Amino acid sequence: MANYQNDMERMIVESVLAELRKSGAAPAAYGNTTAGSVIEDGVINLPDVDHPTLTNAKNYAAVEAMKQVTTARIGLGRCGTRQRTDTWLRFQADHAAAMDAVFLDVSDDFLKKNNLETITTRATTKDDFLREPNWGTQLSEEGVKKLHEICKQDTQIHEQRFHSTITKVQVQIIISDGLSSRAIEANIPEILPPLVQGLEAAGVTVGTPVFVKNGRVRVMDQVGMELGCDVVLNLIGERPGLGTASSMSAYLIYRPTKDTVEADRTLISNIYAGGTPPVEAGAQLVDLIQDILKYQCTGVKLNEATK
Amino acid sequence: MFIISSAEQKLISVGIDIGTTTTQLVLSRLTVRNSAPASVIPHMEISEREVLYRSNIHFTPIDDHLLIDADEIAKILEEEYRQAGMNPWDVETGAVIITGETAKKENAANILEAVSEYAGDFVVATAGVNLESILAGRGSGASAYSEEHHKAFANIDIGGGTANIGVFNGGRVIDAACINVGGHLVELEKGGDTVTYIAEPAQRVLNDLGIELMIGDKATQKQLIRIAERMAELCVESIVNRHPGELLDELLMTPALKDDYEVYQVVISGGVADYVYSDYEPVALSTMTQYGDIGPVLGWAIRKKFAEAGVTLAKPLETIRATVIGAGIHSMNISGSTIHVNEQTLPLKNVQVLSPFPKDEMPRDIDVIAEMVSDTVDRIHSEDPDKILGIALEGPAEVTYNCIRDLAEGLYKGMRNYLRYRGVLIVIVGADCGKALGQCLDIVSDHHIELVCVDQIDVDEGDYIDIGSPIMGGRVVPVVVKTLVFEKGNK
Repeated sequence: MANYQNDMERMIVESVLAELRKSGAAPAAYGNTTAGSVIEDGVINLPDVDHPTLTNAKNYAAVEAMKQVTTARIGLGRCGTRQRTDTWLRFQADHAAAMDAVFLDVSDDFLKKNNLETITTRATTKDDFLREPNWGTQLSEEGVKKLHEICKQDTQIHEQRFHSTITKVQVQIIISDGLSSRAIEANIPEILPPLVQGLEAAGVTVGTPVFVKNGRVRVMDQVGMELGCDVVLNLIGERPGLGTASSMSAYLIYRPTKDTVEADRTLISNIYAGGTPPVEAGAQLVDLIQDILKYQCTGVKLNEATK
Repeated sequence: MFIISSAEQKLISVGIDIGTTTTQLVLSRLTVRNSAPASVIPHMEISEREVLYRSNIHFTPIDDHLLIDADEIAKILEEEYRQAGMNPWDVETGAVIITGETAKKENAANILEAVSEYAGDFVVATAGVNLESILAGRGSGASAYSEEHHKAFANIDIGGGTANIGVFNGGRVIDAACINVGGHLVELEKGGDTVTYIAEPAQRVLNDLGIELMIGDKATQKQLIRIAERMAELCVESIVNRHPGELLDELLMTPALKDDYEVYQVVISGGVADYVYSDYEPVALSTMTQYGDIGPVLGWAIRKKFAEAGVTLAKPLETIRATVIGAGIHSMNISGSTIHVNEQTLPLKNVQVLSPFPKDEMPRDIDVIAEMVSDTVDRIHSEDPDKILGIALEGPAEVTYNCIRDLAEGLYKGMRNYLRYRGVLIVIVGADCGKALGQCLDIVSDHHIELVCVDQIDVDEGDYIDIGSPIMGGRVVPVVVKTLVFEKGNK
């Protein structure tokens, strides 16, 4: 067995060997993974880039303070004219995570566990979704049908619970994968409970949240027009970056029409553990939605109305 | 109400410093602005601090070294407001600092009465050696230096009666102490050599030096230099060697500074500082006692003793006005913008902060939380049922819905006895989850209690806070953190 200088070197060698083994080309003698390896049970422990690894900083505390206010990869040192190997590996890994967030679907398990019904758009595959931006803004025929079914159930549930008749709910929440399925899986379980319970506690009627697969921001307009509800909230995965792949946005629209433009929307972005925590964003949205219902508008108009 | 906009709000703030020797006032304008991008939840901060008016420096009207003449104070304030061309009712925030030897209980009540007319709705009258140390360090620039250099800067504000030490790192206060030394503890005939007053702490310094000096005696130049040098040594000792010797221990009005950090540079503020940063030399007795005290020679001694100890003295932005400027422009904090408050409940004054939970070990279990809360709250409440209490905590065990919900249940359960008596539940949480926690508390209490839940404010057990009415369209509340220690009680 070779003697490795550090964990990083061991990790590189073992990653290469693992690949080689898959193709049956690994030398048998190197086949064992020793204890303490950075690869355990298929989980790769990534190099840490959150703390400065500069070796000759004049004021280490200053570098640390700077790193605390940015996710940019500063203060990590270098090796000659290039980045250090662990910095580079982490860069590649974060890039891969961002790619995964875009290309992978929200898992069926997740949807089942969170009682989310799927509504489809005209974009039936990820490729369509990425190549034809407009398709993700339009529900499929089947999707429209399902949306109405769920909505009908909602009014019935309301009757049973409150013994009063409503024709539609005030607020419909939709969840779209957008450009990050990971954002949905990471934030939805934390944002929905305070959001839904908070709205109900405030006497606002809320439809059962639905998942819009391959959905974009503007799909919320069609949902609003189909249902005739007052407010549509679209919780959607943001385009991932190297800082995080799990950031989510909350778009809000008041009674959308065919003429709705982007300035009509209200937005809270940066919802994830490292930004606004989803649970806090949920509570925040409760207040925001009540304001929207009060002023009967969103977007720039809401900003003007509340000035 | 929820506003996403880049609007700003301006507040007029007053700082009044009533010290052993001098009384001063500053009026300033604070600008509160959202510094976050439009699509992100707003982050309100004080973006500008502009001093509008600096008063003259008045001698504090104090009779036979014990009681402050409150009527005189009122007259001074009235005249200064007139000079500034402003009305007391324009003032929205600020602090009145009663410091040094004047911080006696009997004075505090008089002063409160005298200033109440000249300080707006949300101005606190307070005295506390640590608060004074902190405000002086903010006013002198020591806090800003530490933020710029990411190193620990100690500010020593040396006034007539006390030397207040505030230590800052990264712009945050990390330590504070106060020594009973100052320029006015020995008084002499102006420009002469006859001793007219020796305060008790100065007597200890004299005893330590073996100098026999009584009121009416003529002091020599050498004696005054030795007294000043000894006082300066105590200042150096408190910074350099954190295990105080006998004399320092006697004269410390607070615990000594902690010994788990290095001080990079020292800033001197206060009236004495003007002689620290000049080239003054005590060559003639007439200049040494020109103010009827030992201030100038003490300043010189500080310069000399720190140089001997190899400690660099950084230049303060303010000297004699550091504390009053600190009080005027640095006493107010702005809460996080995700808060949950019943507006009609505010403002609240003199809320005593309790921290029922151990640091870094936040319990998760509802009953454990409730027990810890009720243990602390019921004890304090039974001692003094009139006190308004607030619960301070770092945050839930995890910033997740379940944890926050359980925390809300535990808090409500633990506060139930107290709430039966006084219907306002005040929670100050460090983590960014004030709104979620507030909403959960509202739900678990079935909307039956008045609730103030603010986040992102640093408070500690024993602090008293004032929470002002919401500003910026209800998004944030101003909070003044103060420590009400009138006497040598917290050693």
